[in-house]
Amino acid sequence: MTSAQWLLIVLLAIAAYGVRLAGLVGGRAISANPRLKPFLDDLPGCLVVGLVAASLAGEPAVTWAAALVALGVAILTNNVVVTMVIGLAAIILGQQLSVY
Amino acid sequence: MKQGFLSILPLAAGAALYGFAFGVLAAQIGFPWWGVALMSGLVHAGSSQIVAVEQFGSHGFVLGAVLAGAALNLRYLGIIASLSEVLRDVPMRLRLLAIHITGDENWALTMARRARDPDIGAAFLIGSGLTMISVWVISTTAGALIGGAIPDLEGYGLGFAFTAAFIAMARAMWRGRQVILPWAITFAATLALVRAGMGPAFAIVLGSLAGVAIATLDRSRRRQDIA
Repeated sequence: MTSAQWLLIVLLAIAAYGVRLAGLVGGRAISANPRLKPFLDDLPGCLVVGLVAASLAGEPAVTWAAALVALGVAILTNNVVVTMVIGLAAIILGQQLSVY
Repeated sequence: MKQGFLSILPLAAGAALYGFAFGVLAAQIGFPWWGVALMSGLVHAGSSQIVAVEQFGSHGFVLGAVLAGAALNLRYLGIIASLSEVLRDVPMRLRLLAIHITGDENWALTMARRARDPDIGAAFLIGSGLTMISVWVISTTAGALIGGAIPDLEGYGLGFAFTAAFIAMARAMWRGRQVILPWAITFAATLALVRAGMGPAFAIVLGSLAGVAIATLDRSRRRQDIA
């Protein structure tokens, strides 16, 4: 592995365990803190939506269409793996269709 | 403990599929199978790992990838805090292990069983947690072994598998109509910032902060309406 990959794994492990440890030590106080509450409640969802937006920026129409398919599957199934599989199938199909 | 070990198996099967998919993607981005195994054992957080690996793969920016991954795991503050009663009589060493092996599935199962049967406690949590982390490490490693052996999927829209995963994660985080406005703002702001030439990692953070700010304003406005 590259040193960047090692660094990613080690830092992510420390960060993930740090959150759990903070939960054990002062979880109730932190969760109820009025200043932190908006971040804890809203940040994770917004981040994921931001990730979707960033990965769609500048992509061709076929990617956006596949994203709509994936969104529909996600709403119906609420299942990550099913959404990934059908989403991938949609974009591969879309790419094949746009070639012809 | 044995009861917890076995009761969680059906839920662990769902996590295994997700883990397998993550392993395939991580291997395609260039992680060796043992690196994936190491990460899964040390981090043990599905959505954090998938986000961090995608950010790392597309931008190679370690700190941004770690922050994005860790921020997604903030829900564990509340999850672990809710276990204080379950873990009260457990020795500290075991407690430090228990919080690492706890995942969404076995936490939810432990809390649900405990509501009906007060005898369900730390042993059940730890037994089911051991199943969860074992299944997670094994399934991600298996995915990485397969992903490393098959040809490069990049041309077939591999990157889109991550996009689809993020869309599904957002669906799972849906908490009712109050998220529509902050999510729309986040989406529009992030898209505009990336289009304007900002690096995606920064655009995602700024876009999300804009969404959080709107959500906070919206909440205080509603509170005033009630008052």
